[in-house]
Amino acid sequence: METPASKLSVRNLRKGFRSQRSDGSIQVFEDISLEVHPSEFISLVGPSGCGKTTFLRILDGLIPHDDGEILLDGKTVVKPGPDKGFVFQDSSLLPWRTVMDNVILGLELQGIDKREARRKATQYISLVGLAGFENHYPHELSGGMQQRVNLARALIVDPQVLLMDEPFASLDAQTREIMQAELLKMWNQTKKTVVFVTHQIEEAIYLSDRVVVFSARPATIREVVTVGIPRPRSLSVKRTREFLDLADRVWKIIQHEVLKSMGREREEGIR
Amino acid sequence: MRAVEKREPLVPAWLRSSRMIALYSVVAGLGAWQLAYMGLARTIYFEAYAIHHFLSSPLQVIETFGELYRSGELFKHSYFSLLEFAYGFVLSVVVGIPVGFLMATQKKINYYLDPWVSCIYATPRVALAPIIIVWFGLGILPNALIVFLGAVFPILLNTYTGIKSVRQNLIEVVKAFGGSALQVFFKVMIPDATPAIIAGLRLAVGRAVIGVVVAEWFGAEAGLGYMVYFYSQLFQPGPVFVGIVVLVVFGILSFMALDKAQGWISPWYAYQVRREVHGMEME
Ligand SMILES: Nc1ncnc2c1ncn2[C@@H]1O[C@H](COP(=O)(O)OP(=O)(O)OP(=O)(O)O)[C@@H](O)[C@H]1O
Ligand SMILES: [Mg+2]
Repeated sequence: METPASKLSVRNLRKGFRSQRSDGSIQVFEDISLEVHPSEFISLVGPSGCGKTTFLRILDGLIPHDDGEILLDGKTVVKPGPDKGFVFQDSSLLPWRTVMDNVILGLELQGIDKREARRKATQYISLVGLAGFENHYPHELSGGMQQRVNLARALIVDPQVLLMDEPFASLDAQTREIMQAELLKMWNQTKKTVVFVTHQIEEAIYLSDRVVVFSARPATIREVVTVGIPRPRSLSVKRTREFLDLADRVWKIIQHEVLKSMGREREEGIR
Repeated sequence: MRAVEKREPLVPAWLRSSRMIALYSVVAGLGAWQLAYMGLARTIYFEAYAIHHFLSSPLQVIETFGELYRSGELFKHSYFSLLEFAYGFVLSVVVGIPVGFLMATQKKINYYLDPWVSCIYATPRVALAPIIIVWFGLGILPNALIVFLGAVFPILLNTYTGIKSVRQNLIEVVKAFGGSALQVFFKVMIPDATPAIIAGLRLAVGRAVIGVVVAEWFGAEAGLGYMVYFYSQLFQPGPVFVGIVVLVVFGILSFMALDKAQGWISPWYAYQVRREVHGMEME
């Protein structure tokens, strides 16, 4: 049964990896269910190594899962494709391609006419504020500019859902804040459904409609925190009482999970 | 604060460029050689030891070059050597790149081929040359085979390492946008492995030139290596040096061609090389 209100549905997801060691496999997801609404901005936070990247890769169809269902617009996700846009962490631009040629990658892979693709890319390159840099190579750009290209490359395929894996993790604090504001602006214009993974709680709250907190491995959804702060949000909302209280709440949950996972890792180490 | 007087540099910039300095160095070296030879020619040892049977001066080498050129002999030898080089090198590329690629991507093939590659690679080619000539006789093809044996391994092994070290995260990018296996191959693996493959080609050029000379020493009726060997037997150093110079110039031209190809195939690569060589201080 598909509820039409959901853009993306994850139902009873289970996933394990076969481990290199003799003791079989590690369970990453026990039983994850999540409904993401159209045009919703949702963030995933959780202890390091709990499976956030794995979760995004499963949503994209890059790796298989063991059990459960992933539905995008009511259709089962089987493989990657232009209906999903993936924004990778860092240095995932093809170094031998210019900004322009990196951005058109997704269209090129679909076999879309080069001239048409370039015309469209020009539009997206200026959307992310890089007009004039079309013929630069990635090594000629700053980290923040590279992430903008990364974003344009995902947006140009006009995906139904945008999957972002810690896209700003490698940026300095100021650039990061600017990129957050820019991302919200773009999200406002495009109204994409976004699943955003981050380590930073305040980033998650600032950007999102809801923040999903994963537990330590094997991961389950520990809590879904709804962010009621009205939009558009300026950067100054980060200093309001409401914002700080939310951050504190999320932080406490994660801290609890981190302590739990550290305890378990210590046990695993002894074994 | 003292005002610094602006002066025109004594020597204009283009005369101080690295290329010009290289030129000065070569000219100075050849000049020193010429002067030393002329000095030696005035001493009594020159006649006593028949030095002209062992040494030549740069000017004499130029003169001999002219003679060999006019008589058509130089052309004949160069032509044979060039053919051996071309056949051997092209065969190395045609075999080395696909086999290196297969070994890098197919575990099974790697298991079967690896011992052979290691053994033949470790065998000194000089030791193989005589037997190959015994098998195939004199001619361009056996010599090309010796060239091939020298040149194929750097190409094969560099292709192997190049493909093995293709960045997984870049492969994942193309997959994430729905790229097929074929697209992953052409859009990531080939370009990411290209610098390593071209480095292999550079090594192969040097080894192929050695291969030409070695092959012709053991058996040939023409060729630059043959010419060098033949005239040294006759105690005529002039043609010997001419042969060596032509081989050197050929090697350098091949390197330059590869560098051009590299710059043309992957302009971004020059940056990467500079960074690896000089650390991060560039740009
Ligand atoms: N291909 C794989 N094979 C085996 N185990 C894997 C594989 N990929 C991930 N894992 C394991 O699955 C767990 C989750 O990894 P994942 O990268 O999804 O975590 P994460 O939450 O993104 O971590 P981080 O916050 O550090 O980025 C880890 O314990 C990791 O070791
Ligand atoms: Mg991760």
